[in-house]
Amino acid sequence: MHELSFHETTFEKCLKCNACTVSCPISNTTLDFGGPKHLGPELKRMMDHQEVIDDSRIELCTLCGTCDTSCPENVHVSTLTSYAKAIHAKEKGTKFRDIVLSNAELVGKLASTFAPITNMTMKIKPVRKVMQMVLGIHADRQFPSYEFSNFKRRYNKKHATTERKVAYFTGCYATYNAPDVAGSFIKVMEYNGIDVAIPEQKCCGVPMFANGQMKQGLKNAQFNTNSLLEYTRQGYDIVMTCTSCTSAFKKEYASYLKTEEAKELARHIYDADEYLRILNEEGELNTNFATINAKVGYYAPCHMKGQGIGNPAMDILELIPGFEIQDMAAGCCGQCGTFGFKEEKYPYSLELGKTMATAVEELDADYTVTECGMCKNQLDQLTNKQVKHPMQILKSAYEKVPVNS
Amino acid sequence: MRPIIETEVVVIGGGVTGVGVLRDLTLRGIKAVLVEQRDFVHGTSSRNHGLLHSGARYAVRDEEAAIESYRENLILKKTVPGSVEATGGIFAKVPEDNDDYVAKWVKACAKVGIPTKEIPVAEAIKQEPYLNKQVQAVYHVPDGAVDPFTLAIDVAADAITRGAKVLTYSEVVAINKKGSAVSSVTVSNRYTGEKTDIHTNLVINAAGPWGSQVAALAEVPLKLINNKGMLTVMNHRINKQVINRLRMPGDADIFVPAHNVTIFGTTGRNVESPEDFSLDRHELEQMLKEGEALVPGVTEMRMIRAFTGSRPLYQDTDDSDSSGRNVTRGLALLDHSTRDGLDGFITITGGKLTTFRYMAEKTVDLVCEKLGVNVACTTHEEPVSHRDAKQFFKETDIAPAAKTKLFHWAGKNAKEIETSLNNETEDKIVVCECEQITWAEIKAAMPDGRFNLTDIRRRTRLGMGPCQGTFCNQRVAALAVEKGLATQEEADWALRDAVTNRVKGMGVVATGETSKQLQMMETIYKVSLGLNEEGKSNV
Ligand SMILES: Cc1cc2nc3c(=O)[nH]c(=O)nc-3n(C[C@H](O)[C@H](O)[C@H](O)COP(=O)(O)OP(=O)(O)OC[C@H]3O[C@@H](n4cnc5c(N)ncnc54)[C@H](O)[C@@H]3O)c2cc1C
Ligand code: SF4
Ligand code: SF4
Ligand code: SF4
Repeated sequence: MHELSFHETTFEKCLKCNACTVSCPISNTTLDFGGPKHLGPELKRMMDHQEVIDDSRIELCTLCGTCDTSCPENVHVSTLTSYAKAIHAKEKGTKFRDIVLSNAELVGKLASTFAPITNMTMKIKPVRKVMQMVLGIHADRQFPSYEFSNFKRRYNKKHATTERKVAYFTGCYATYNAPDVAGSFIKVMEYNGIDVAIPEQKCCGVPMFANGQMKQGLKNAQFNTNSLLEYTRQGYDIVMTCTSCTSAFKKEYASYLKTEEAKELARHIYDADEYLRILNEEGELNTNFATINAKVGYYAPCHMKGQGIGNPAMDILELIPGFEIQDMAAGCCGQCGTFGFKEEKYPYSLELGKTMATAVEELDADYTVTECGMCKNQLDQLTNKQVKHPMQILKSAYEKVPVNS
Repeated sequence: MRPIIETEVVVIGGGVTGVGVLRDLTLRGIKAVLVEQRDFVHGTSSRNHGLLHSGARYAVRDEEAAIESYRENLILKKTVPGSVEATGGIFAKVPEDNDDYVAKWVKACAKVGIPTKEIPVAEAIKQEPYLNKQVQAVYHVPDGAVDPFTLAIDVAADAITRGAKVLTYSEVVAINKKGSAVSSVTVSNRYTGEKTDIHTNLVINAAGPWGSQVAALAEVPLKLINNKGMLTVMNHRINKQVINRLRMPGDADIFVPAHNVTIFGTTGRNVESPEDFSLDRHELEQMLKEGEALVPGVTEMRMIRAFTGSRPLYQDTDDSDSSGRNVTRGLALLDHSTRDGLDGFITITGGKLTTFRYMAEKTVDLVCEKLGVNVACTTHEEPVSHRDAKQFFKETDIAPAAKTKLFHWAGKNAKEIETSLNNETEDKIVVCECEQITWAEIKAAMPDGRFNLTDIRRRTRLGMGPCQGTFCNQRVAALAVEKGLATQEEADWALRDAVTNRVKGMGVVATGETSKQLQMMETIYKVSLGLNEEGKSNV
């Protein structure tokens, strides 16, 4: 049997209703994609105990998880599509480019070592042309910038001593590209009297799953599960500032690893805003915020929507006096992790992002808020508004409070 | 005056036995016409397990059947390769079954020359993850899976290209005699009622479970026990190879893979009418419960539909046995000239799908004897054309899943399908998603005669997947009208007919997902297409 034959039976429940396909952002943008129903449950059914079918169109799937959310039968559609990706990667070989992109951590480490140079080179056109030719990364695509002083270099506490203990899974983006987000989170927790520890961790695996690097992704998932369980078993809550990471720990780990450990861990995972909302509900949140007079647009990342936790970022930010925040309800951004970096996906990515860009333009707010670094990348590319993470806003709302109040 | 056809031999029945006889006759240069009351494999030939027996199942109890099966198994793998998947099979002993039988069985297989090979339990479970982890011994045998639809259609097509004639939807309503010999048969067209006389001196009754009725038309007494068996189609293919229970053959002990699904069964109950296709929920539940021994959890698994078929078992004497399992399953070739004093009438019945070729050989040997033809049988060597089409569709831009299907399916139609896929965008439409069938394939496989979705299903697997035609039947009906291949009325009728048939098979398994699927199908058809209860089949 093919080494990628895998045991996943939720496809059995598929009613062929197409709800997933009509809600898939990619299916809605192009006819070049087979759609979640076909590339998920349908293909799996045709492959079980039969020959493997490699469908290259699976490259277009961004693993945003919208299909999972829309399925009335609880089919793990995106688990199935991620395996279709793994099969494709195995059958066709993975492009060097996709290995580079799937390895956010390695790229992050390398790039932040040379941060100032990296950021310059990323912007210089001739270099980008070469990247497009060699790596297939589109020349016009903007990159998130890398910071020399990456978060690991700034903060490295392994244990928390307060009563409520938080272990922070930083994720690649906040570690290498936006240490300020990570720093803000630590500060926000500090204002709430909560100590934050940083457990040993590896990339959550999302970019690996998305690029068909299933094996490596599963390795990382296993590593993180082991590492974080050590914390949860000592009473830590695991909190994350990246919605894609959170979603991986809550959903994908359990359905890929299929272990009791993964399920156990999933019960202790919180998105940062979700966590703050719980503090608030239990009357523990420090609500001593300074007034921030701003009108902002909120952009909800797919991986946040897929968690089924409502809209915690807005719930929390609304507590800030004077802060006016509006949900732009603008669909998928189109960056979709590493997807939008790829030369051949660039046009789809821009097409996907149009609704979002129009929404930003129409709202004409002071700036945009989103949790997802990849969404931010697309927002940076397609709009001229500044983009902030909720933690950055909360941190300044705490900091601006006069010392004596 | 009625239209008249002249021929040497008339074969009644378009099941595997009938088409096998037709082809053998043609290969030996005898002019023949086959008449079938509906479409090919309307009877038991499409209502079975599709197991290409290795003979191992019969080794202990019926040596002769075992030897015949194994020999034919090897022949069919060579001569109808497009319809056989040489999956191999396993016999697994579960704790509740008798230990002594195992040794007896191994010995019996060795005696008749059926190769068996013990495999470690752990290895077997690795190969078949759904197999009961408690099995105590597992043997590998050369079982296979045979697709009875393509088998009958390809064998018939081969005969037709060699000059045979086939009339479908033509029911034999009279067998006419001159003195003590058969002189002609009268057939009636099922759609139009139009009658045709076929002049012949030799009629072969290959009407399966309808055998007694056909014999009655010739006023010949013939006692057949119709032993009805139930089978259920699992929603997906849960096994790679055939899984048999290693015990004295009983109910519910075989799982046979069939393309994207697994067929599980069966049971045995004697019924009066060959048209009794009724489905009993209780019988199904019993069967599933029994099946738990080999595949734990099978009761909870999603099933697509269930169906039944009747084994025509020939009985010389009158004492009946209600399980039907102890009556001979060997073939019965009856020369009614010696048996009943009617010249020109032969019945071939009993047997198995696996042994259909041999049954045909025996029958045609007798025909040759009667007609004074001295030509030897060649069907054990002469292959029918393969279904494999891997050399085609290289440049064709369609979904890989649809392509994979074509690689194994297109066969003789490959060139035609390839051309139409490469030239017509519309032909690339995947009309049936569950089975990945393009419009090009439907066009190429569409039989002559009245537009009938069930006939198309038999040739393409249209609507055989989990949605059971919810989406694809209407797509095909609509396209057929658009392309002038059917009138609006014909398409409407065909839709009703197809939906009614499918609903019956789904109803009995309709719990959980399948009941939701059924509801969705009924809603779509009733609400959006205005089909209602009167949508009864009237063929
Ligand atoms: C439940 C079950 C499971 C089985 N599983 C297996 C298996 O796994 N492997 C195996 O080898 N065998 C199996 N068999 C046996 C096998 O299916 C049959 O032996 C075989 O299909 C019989 O074919 P046939 O052509 O003789 O009969 P049929 O297929 O029934 O053909 C008779 C045809 O005659 C037509 N007809 C009837 N009356 C008239 C008329 N008046 N005019 C014109 N046409 C007429 C009918 O429409 C029908 O198409 C199974 C049988 C059953 C019931
Ligand atoms: S994960 Fe997203 S892109 Fe992929 S199939 Fe599902 S909805 Fe479409
Ligand atoms: S939404 Fe769920 S049930 Fe509907 S087609 Fe998609 S996977 Fe199947
Ligand atoms: S980049 Fe943002 S919007 Fe796009 S898939 Fe990821 S989370 Fe969703």
